[in-house]
Amino acid sequence: MKDTKDTGHAEITSQQMPTSSPQSSVPRPFGLLAELTYRCPLPCPYCSNPTQYPPTGAELTTEEWKRTLSQAGDLGVLHVLLSGGEPLLRSDLAELVAAAREAGLYTNLITSALGLTRDRAERLKAAGLDSVQISFQADEASLADSIAGTPSHARKREAAKLVRDLNFPLTFNVVLHRKNLGRLEAIIALAEEVGAERLELANTQFYGWAFKNKEALLPTRVQLEEAERIAAAAKVRLSGKMDVLYILPDYYGDRPKPCMNGWGRRYLTVNPVGDVLPCPTASEIKWLHFDNIRQHSLAWIWAESVAFNRFRGTAWMPQPCRSCDQREIDFGGCRCQAALLTGDAGNTDPACSLSPYRDVLNRIVDGAQQLLEGETPSSHTTDLQYRINPSHSLT
Amino acid sequence: MNDEPHNLPLSSGTRPRLAAKARVQTDKISGKLALLYPEGVLLLNPTGAAIVELCDGQHTFQEMVTTLAARYKSSPNSLSSDVAEYLDRLRERGLLELISEEDSYW
Ligand SMILES: C[S@@+](CC[C@H](N)C(=O)[O-])C[C@H]1O[C@@H](n2cnc3c(N)ncnc32)[C@H](O)[C@@H]1O
Ligand code: SF4
Ligand code: SF4
Repeated sequence: MKDTKDTGHAEITSQQMPTSSPQSSVPRPFGLLAELTYRCPLPCPYCSNPTQYPPTGAELTTEEWKRTLSQAGDLGVLHVLLSGGEPLLRSDLAELVAAAREAGLYTNLITSALGLTRDRAERLKAAGLDSVQISFQADEASLADSIAGTPSHARKREAAKLVRDLNFPLTFNVVLHRKNLGRLEAIIALAEEVGAERLELANTQFYGWAFKNKEALLPTRVQLEEAERIAAAAKVRLSGKMDVLYILPDYYGDRPKPCMNGWGRRYLTVNPVGDVLPCPTASEIKWLHFDNIRQHSLAWIWAESVAFNRFRGTAWMPQPCRSCDQREIDFGGCRCQAALLTGDAGNTDPACSLSPYRDVLNRIVDGAQQLLEGETPSSHTTDLQYRINPSHSLT
Repeated sequence: MNDEPHNLPLSSGTRPRLAAKARVQTDKISGKLALLYPEGVLLLNPTGAAIVELCDGQHTFQEMVTTLAARYKSSPNSLSSDVAEYLDRLRERGLLELISEEDSYW
């Protein structure tokens, strides 16, 4: 079991990897999250995308993305997640995959799979796409479609089959919450059935739309204990066949996740309009200005920009982190979560039991412990607030 | 996938092969060999790189050990357990398929 920020992030393995080049204190990045668009055919209520889209600016053009990918390769990035929103809504996706391969990046498509026709998939294969991750909402159509807010489960199953037919390695991702945790056993069985090599059981991280929906999505402790037991057993049973990753729900733990493996340390995110962020949810920190790839090089933004340096290293830390022996391990947790829950991104993440704001989180979690009268969580989806997708003016 | 990945203990006739989802390339920054796979990256040290380069489904475990022993001027016996351990770590991450002796006839 492990935890990480995230919304489908590349795990860059830390052992055998230099934190920084010997000459400078700025580390090199290994992974890029390319959010190609915020547009999406689905309105998932658990979506971690921002609830407010950037007020200005159009999506980066094909040429701008190609330039960004090439700069990422030069900066040392070895891995790109092509995500969004729904990356398949970019008709230039295959061209961008080819550009990423050209730049020396391992390419992983993170998709809802809506829009993945055979023709599309074959073009992506030809362009050099290395791997595909498809997100599912549950094990069967009625629940899955009510969580996704759109009929989509059957199409996802077909797309998964197509992906396996074309010999792409497939990761099966499911975001877990109150509505589907009770179906975990069946969800694991579905992942096996569609032939996934890897199963990502991702407890909801409460950012964006998920934060808005937290009361409806937070699980009970009983649900979680059961889920952990099932996931641990599946991991053993499927060893060597399907890699099972269970991402812990940090609201329920004692220590925070080592978010992004440290701010400005391993990863960067470029959002659809070209803002470069230390993490995909950093726009939750309203006062921080993020520089844009249209004005600056990726190298400059990574090394010099105010945003990337604001929480880099340990010097910014308040107590209790400042004198804690975990500070180089969890980096004080997540800045965005600190901002969302305490109003100040510079505080210790309340997911740490040592945080002076821990009671804020405890109150939220305690509030989720009761099942409502007659509630069988997975049949009750009327309390979900579906994501509102960006208007066309952004595109 | 035609070959199911096997979960067998290493024997001398096993032919390790990098999983289809993984690939290697030289890292521009460090010059090291980088092992790339869906959820991350491993930068390999020189011995790791030498081992991974022999995981081509052609060399048996025994042949790998002999080749490495010659290259590093050490005895196959003393290398064998280190190599096995390294391969096991790769296998745990799902980065290695072990083709058993019987399978390799087909
Ligand atoms: C934001 S989505 C974009 C790609 C695509 N639309 C999809 O859903 O697969 C990226 C990944 O994050 C996951 N995800 C979305 N919201 C999440 C949340 N609140 N917590 C954890 N993972 C989340 C999705 O399941 C998906 O695997
Ligand atoms: S709404 Fe759903 S499908 Fe769309 S980006 Fe968010 S998680 Fe992905
Ligand atoms: S006090 Fe800070 S550094 Fe220590 S465990 Fe908590 S979050 Fe991590």
